[in-house]
Amino acid sequence: MSTNILDSKIPSGPLSEKWDKHRFDMKLVNPANKRKFTVIVVGTGLAGGAAAATLAELGYNVHAFCIQDSPRRAHSIAAQGGINAAKNYQNDGDSIKRLFYDTVKGGDYRSREANVYRLAQVSNNIIDQMVAQGVPFAREYGGYLDNRSFGGAQVSRTFYARGQTGQQLLLGAYSGMMKMVNKGKIKMFNRREMMDLVVVNNQARGIITRNLINGELERHVADAVLLCTGGYGNVFFLSTNAMASNVTAAWRSHKRGAYMANPCFTQIHPTCIPVHGDYQSKLTLMSESLRNDGRVWVPKKQNDTRKPNDIPEDERDYYLERVYPSFGNLAPRDVSSRQAKYRCDEGLGVGATKLAVYLDFRDAIKRDGESTIAGRYGNLFEMYERIVGDNPYKTPMMIYPAVHYTMGGLWVDYNLQSTIPGLHVLGEANFSDHGANRLGASALMQGLADGYFVIPYTLGHYFGSNKIDKVTTDHEAFKEAENRVKMADTKLLNMKGSRSVDDFHKDLGHIMWDHVGMARNEKGLKGAIADIRKLREQFWQDLKVPADNGNYNFELHKANRVADFLELGELMALDALERKESCGGHFREEFQTQDGEAVRNDEQFCHVAAWEFAGEKASPIRHTEELKYENVHLSTRSYK
Amino acid sequence: MSDNANMTIYLKVWRQTSAASEGKFVDYKVDHVSPDMSFLEMFDVLNNELVHKGEDPIAFDHDCREGICGMCSMMINGKAHGGQKGTTTCQLHMRKFKSGDSIVVEPWRAKAFPLVKDLVVDRSAFDKIIQAGGYTTAQTGNAPDANANLIPKTIADEAMDAAACIGCGACVASCPNGSAMLFMGAKISQLALLPQGQPEAPKRALEMVKTHDELLFGNCTNHAECEATCPKEISIEHIARMNREYTKATFTYYEKERSAGA
Amino acid sequence: MSAAVSRYFSSSIGRKQLIALSGLLLCGFLVTHLLGNFLLLVGAEAFNLYAHKLISMGPLLYVAEAGLAGLFVLHLGLAIKLTIENKVARGQKYYVKNRTGRGETIMSASMPYTGLILLAFLISHLIHFKFGPHYSTDINGVIVRDLYKTVVEFFRSPLNTAWYVISMAAAALHTSHGFSSAFQSFGFNHGTWTPKVKLLGVVYAIFVAGGFALISVLLHVKGA
Repeated sequence: MSTNILDSKIPSGPLSEKWDKHRFDMKLVNPANKRKFTVIVVGTGLAGGAAAATLAELGYNVHAFCIQDSPRRAHSIAAQGGINAAKNYQNDGDSIKRLFYDTVKGGDYRSREANVYRLAQVSNNIIDQMVAQGVPFAREYGGYLDNRSFGGAQVSRTFYARGQTGQQLLLGAYSGMMKMVNKGKIKMFNRREMMDLVVVNNQARGIITRNLINGELERHVADAVLLCTGGYGNVFFLSTNAMASNVTAAWRSHKRGAYMANPCFTQIHPTCIPVHGDYQSKLTLMSESLRNDGRVWVPKKQNDTRKPNDIPEDERDYYLERVYPSFGNLAPRDVSSRQAKYRCDEGLGVGATKLAVYLDFRDAIKRDGESTIAGRYGNLFEMYERIVGDNPYKTPMMIYPAVHYTMGGLWVDYNLQSTIPGLHVLGEANFSDHGANRLGASALMQGLADGYFVIPYTLGHYFGSNKIDKVTTDHEAFKEAENRVKMADTKLLNMKGSRSVDDFHKDLGHIMWDHVGMARNEKGLKGAIADIRKLREQFWQDLKVPADNGNYNFELHKANRVADFLELGELMALDALERKESCGGHFREEFQTQDGEAVRNDEQFCHVAAWEFAGEKASPIRHTEELKYENVHLSTRSYK
Repeated sequence: MSDNANMTIYLKVWRQTSAASEGKFVDYKVDHVSPDMSFLEMFDVLNNELVHKGEDPIAFDHDCREGICGMCSMMINGKAHGGQKGTTTCQLHMRKFKSGDSIVVEPWRAKAFPLVKDLVVDRSAFDKIIQAGGYTTAQTGNAPDANANLIPKTIADEAMDAAACIGCGACVASCPNGSAMLFMGAKISQLALLPQGQPEAPKRALEMVKTHDELLFGNCTNHAECEATCPKEISIEHIARMNREYTKATFTYYEKERSAGA
Repeated sequence: MSAAVSRYFSSSIGRKQLIALSGLLLCGFLVTHLLGNFLLLVGAEAFNLYAHKLISMGPLLYVAEAGLAGLFVLHLGLAIKLTIENKVARGQKYYVKNRTGRGETIMSASMPYTGLILLAFLISHLIHFKFGPHYSTDINGVIVRDLYKTVVEFFRSPLNTAWYVISMAAAALHTSHGFSSAFQSFGFNHGTWTPKVKLLGVVYAIFVAGGFALISVLLHVKGA
């Protein structure tokens, strides 16, 4: 069913003119009036940092909140590969249209054309802006910016700063924020976690935060709220996300009325360092570029305990080369991940846990020499050796897929506004631009596009076209929201059960990984929903949180986050169950070709599924926003 | 547990409820430590045990656990991040220790980094140094084309060496003088190397150094212990460049009082 | 402009550079001092003539002495202030603190202590010689101070000799860090040249401190 409430507000006109037209049509806020508006920005990654800095430059009063001890540490910092832009500096055929097309196709036709086109348009401004901020992008000897091809793209459009692009971009945005803090236009709140959204007269007007150090709950009022809180990959317990990455801000906004879109779209990255044991706290990504020279294989025999180098050539299965002769080891992320899972399911996995495959550089070293390979991947090999203790020059690396990015998120319209007026959602926290699968080097681009070049216009339009009454933190809605948080805290602290937060989180992770991970089926998803409900019940009976001594009770913080993950997990399974097709990061085993390729159902599922929270006891309501493709032809991906 | 989780580690950890309270060392024995665990995962295991026992778990800062966010910060056996070259605490693995080892774990200590709880300290002084000038005043929207300013590869690479700083504070923690010159030098140097940063370079150097001094960081006496413990191996060459920038600014930079105009 | 001056003098980097500058100038003085002292090995007459020349410079001597004293006071005063500030900045002490072995050295860590030894040495040095026993001698009809005799008598004592050797060891440690450190403070750090400057600092320390110590020992051996 399609509902009016999901009005994407896509401007009319030809695709390439929509954004320009919209910028002209939008209302402006008089410079003298901007200082009368206060904006809350939750999260200080690329999206939040860029938005906070830019809005402050425009003259708004910005209150920025971050969960870490400094806004410089948000997890955008961990992005390695690079950032795409349609500069076409390499003269190799790139254009805004091509970047647009690649992103829509990479997203398996489940994203909005207009949003993606705008993203491609502003991608060039991002590079200019970041260079102006002193981001030391890689350069050629002549002084021009260097580009590389990334994630199988056919053009070289990726800008990079060593293997630390995310860090450099984030520090750029951070420096912009610090400049505005110095000018008094941004007020920074560090070590704060958003615990609830405050809605007054159907407008997002504030948040309740917890000061993580002393545990105090605080009320913050503003004229609009921007959520830039990242993805929810940690619902799987193990992911490449940071330890503090969580869904709480987004989930509680969802419960206040913001729809959650496509929550089942999860990206699983094929080249991560495998799990070592139960104690493991997170997974580390190894750049995808390794697959340019490494060959992926498993032994042909089950439970082969020989050392990899003792396994002769004819007893190895180079399965990506076998199954996808034309793409081979460079098959896309979702395809490679799934193939690795199949091998391990068949009992062919390697390593102590049998949940790993080899990525072998032997032939590349033989062909190009060790020093050439070291030149390309030296720092990655070092990192691998530091973590695993093996030398990849001598023995093959072991890799396994890991949860990396969530394409789903809070539903937003073309203006990045959620279904709650005044609540805008930016970056990974929204669902907008990547469809069912995100291309490499596009996450940084989207976060910065939203923060630097979209929200500064659309937020002004919101202020210019809405009446916003004066509200203080004494308003009843603030009291209610604060009480909700307090009550949950009391409940969590008073259970005095027998299991720790991590115990529950790990259990949830196992359910999610086994049934809502790389391959899903109806039976598994239904089972997962039942299991999550059971686990949630146990959680609310048997949890043990150390007594609150008023001082940095991080077990309580984690308990709140896991409580939300336990609800989100169920919605993800439900969304996956309802989406009866395979597309991008969502692979339903019932919908595949005989060769095991994904089968999309464009007739019935070429839409966004946006879930409305209907109450603690009620089932969530599924709304849909039809996706119209007027500029690209829907085709089937093939990597054979 | 995987089968090789057979190490026993004796920890002596600094516990302190808050900045105001008295702190002390507490001894812990951690069994079933695997050589494949990271140092922080060993703390996770210990904390989970403490929670089960109903005790207050040990507070420590951590986030990305892949050596880039700069959140983790432990003084391990008297060395920042444990002293392994180019490694943060989260990337330090237990295979670097032997079963039966005793390990002393303390928070970063420096006047400018007041203690928050246990192993957690307040590093907001770093933000204040950056606020004083660690940026270019490039307002969003007015940037020229990215290739308008050519920057030779050698310069871009050197700027990147400096920009690699993760702001963890190991330099301050291990400096005999509690000085933040490497942190500050890295930023001043990065921006002084690049044409985008040069228009504001003198003012930046003067303002940032002034703020650094006011925040009660110590002075540099060129021990280079910062460089040795920096997990990103940032060179004290960048402190030298900062010194040059500061001297140059002192003797050349002069802002005349002018009337604002209409 | 006075604001810039006071800012420079009160800033960490400015003061560090003043310590570096005064230290380097004092290093220069030590070289001339040592060259003069080598005359002790040539003989009484040569040394006493040289000393007499210096003493008879008149007002120039006072200017030079005042300059030296000024440098020294500046170097010492700023260093004491710096050391105290740095102690405060360090905050609570570590229970265990180990060097990585790649940064801090004995030389750099002991700067305040070797500095204090050198201060004690300087005071004793002035007492023993400048204000020490005054003998006279006649060189070609001119009555001059027989400083040579004062020196030789002084080094007859093994204790005095030992004190001088120890002090010179301290000077060696102090200058071997201080010399190259001064270059870093002025912002001179270069991949190619800095290792050479460091080497030069060590060579300087060995040459100057070793030279002084050697003269003391030789005089002791000769006199005993």
